[in-house]
Amino acid sequence: MNHLETHKLGLSRNGNWLFRNLDLKIPSGSLVAILGPSGVGKSSLLSCLSGSEIQTEGKIEFHFKNGKVRTTENINPELGIIFQSLRLTEHVTVLENVLYGKIAKYGIKQSIFGFPEQDMKHAYQILKDLGIAHLAHKWTSQTSGGEKQRTAIARTLFQSPKIILADEPVSNLDTYYSGRVMGLLRNLANQEGKIIMTALHDPQLVSRFADFALSLNPEDPEGWNLREVRPKV
Amino acid sequence: MNSKQKENLISPEFPLRKWHEKLNFLNIVIIIFLFLTLFSGKNLLQENRSADVMAGIDYFIKKFFPPDFSDFNLILESLTETFQIAIVSTFIAVNLSLIISLAASRNISPIWLVQITRMFLNITRTLPSLIWAFLFVIFFGPTPIAGVFALTFYSLGYLGKFFSESFESMDIKVARGLRLIGATPIQAFLYGLWPNVKAQVWSQSLWMLEYNIRSASIIGLVGAGGIGMELNKAMEMASGFQRVTAILICILVIVIILDLLGQAIRRWITQKISPKSISD
Repeated sequence: MNHLETHKLGLSRNGNWLFRNLDLKIPSGSLVAILGPSGVGKSSLLSCLSGSEIQTEGKIEFHFKNGKVRTTENINPELGIIFQSLRLTEHVTVLENVLYGKIAKYGIKQSIFGFPEQDMKHAYQILKDLGIAHLAHKWTSQTSGGEKQRTAIARTLFQSPKIILADEPVSNLDTYYSGRVMGLLRNLANQEGKIIMTALHDPQLVSRFADFALSLNPEDPEGWNLREVRPKV
Repeated sequence: MNSKQKENLISPEFPLRKWHEKLNFLNIVIIIFLFLTLFSGKNLLQENRSADVMAGIDYFIKKFFPPDFSDFNLILESLTETFQIAIVSTFIAVNLSLIISLAASRNISPIWLVQITRMFLNITRTLPSLIWAFLFVIFFGPTPIAGVFALTFYSLGYLGKFFSESFESMDIKVARGLRLIGATPIQAFLYGLWPNVKAQVWSQSLWMLEYNIRSASIIGLVGAGGIGMELNKAMEMASGFQRVTAILICILVIVIILDLLGQAIRRWITQKISPKSISD
C-alpha cells in the first residue's frame, strides 16, 4: 500500500451535503482520526470509503506500491472494517466470528471441514491480546457489548487488511482497553504500513495515537480540515 | 378552561394528538370480535338442527366398540406408509422452501420477485391438503406418490412463509458486512445469515413434519395413500366400524408420541443451537 487518495469527494443526502470537495492524500503508515459532532457524517465518510455507500461526486483511489490503483469496487479483501454496529454473527462462537475475517481466502472446503488449525491458533492469540481468550468458544450472543466490540476488532486484526476503517472502535471499552486497542492499531500503522481511518470522540486518544485529525464541519460541508497531530518522521 | 387548554397543561409545547391517533386499535378489534361471536353464536343455535345426542352416543358405543385389531399388521403397514409420505414430502418441501423463501424475503430480494413468490405461496397455502391430494390423485391415480406431491405443495406454502419471515427478522447487515470484506454471496449467506436462522428453520421444519404426519393420515380418504385409505375402506364396510376405531386409536397414539418427541427435540434445539442473548 502506498497511499489513499480522494478527489473532490462529496456526499449528499436528501439534498443536504454532508461533506464536499474533500481532497485527501493519506500516506501508508498513518492513523487518521475523523472528528466532529454526532450526525456530521463521520460514519458516512467511512461508508463511502468502504464502498457500502456510493458517493454523490468525486472519486476514491487506493494506490499500491507496485503502481496499481484500485477503487472501492475491487479493494476488498484488502479492506477491513470495524462497524459501529459491529455486525457479528450472533449464533456462532466468538472464535468463529474472528475467523470470518479471512473469509475471502476460504473456499467451500472450509465451510464443510472447518477452518485450518493454524488460523485457529492465530485467531486465538489475537483474542488473548485483547483479553477475551476465555470467551473463544462461547456464543457471541452471550457476550457483553464491550466483549463483542473486542471480537469485531479481533476479526479485523485477524483479517490483516492493508486499510482499516473503524467506526468508533472503542466506544464500548473502558480506558484500559481503549488505550490497548488504539495502541494495537498504532503499531499496525507503524510496523506494517497500514492506513487506519477511525472515527473517534475522545480528544485524549486523538492526541496520543493519531497522525492526522480530519474535522468535519456541520455548518459548512466544504469547511473540513485536515491537520497533522504529530509530524511524520 | 376548554379541553384543549386542559391537555396542554402537561407542557405548552406538548404536541396534541388528533382524535384518530388516540384510538387503541387492538382494543377496538377485540370489541368487534366479541360482538361477532355473540351474533354468530346466536344465529347458529337458532337453526334448530339439534338431533338426539344421547341416541347418537348410544349408537356410537354399540357400533364402534370394542376396537377390532384383527388386521393389526395391515394397519401397521399403512401407518408406515403414512410416515414415509410425511417424511419424504417434508424433506422435499424444506429444501424447496429454503430457496423459495429467499426470493420471498424483502430484505434479500427485489420487491417484484418478493410479490410474485408470495402470491404463489399464498395460493399453495389456501388450498387444504385434502384438495391438493384430490388434484394429484387425478394426475397420478390412487398412489402414495399423489400423497407426497399433495403434502409437498401444501407444506411449501407454510414453510416458504415461515422461512421468509425468519430471514426478514434477521439483520442483513451482518451478511452485507462480510460481502464488503470479500465474501462471496454464498459465504455471506452461510456465515452471516444462516447461523442466526438455523434454529428457527429446524424448529419450523419439525413442526411441519408433525403436521404432515397428521395430514398424511387423512389424505388417504381421497385415495392418496397411507392409513387414510384403510380408514376409508373400513368405513365403507357395513361391519367395519370396529376397525375404524382400531385405526383411529393407532393414529392417535402415533400422533401423540410424535408430538411429544417433536416438542422435546425443538426445546433441545432452542437451548443448544440458539441460546438466549444476555442483555448488557
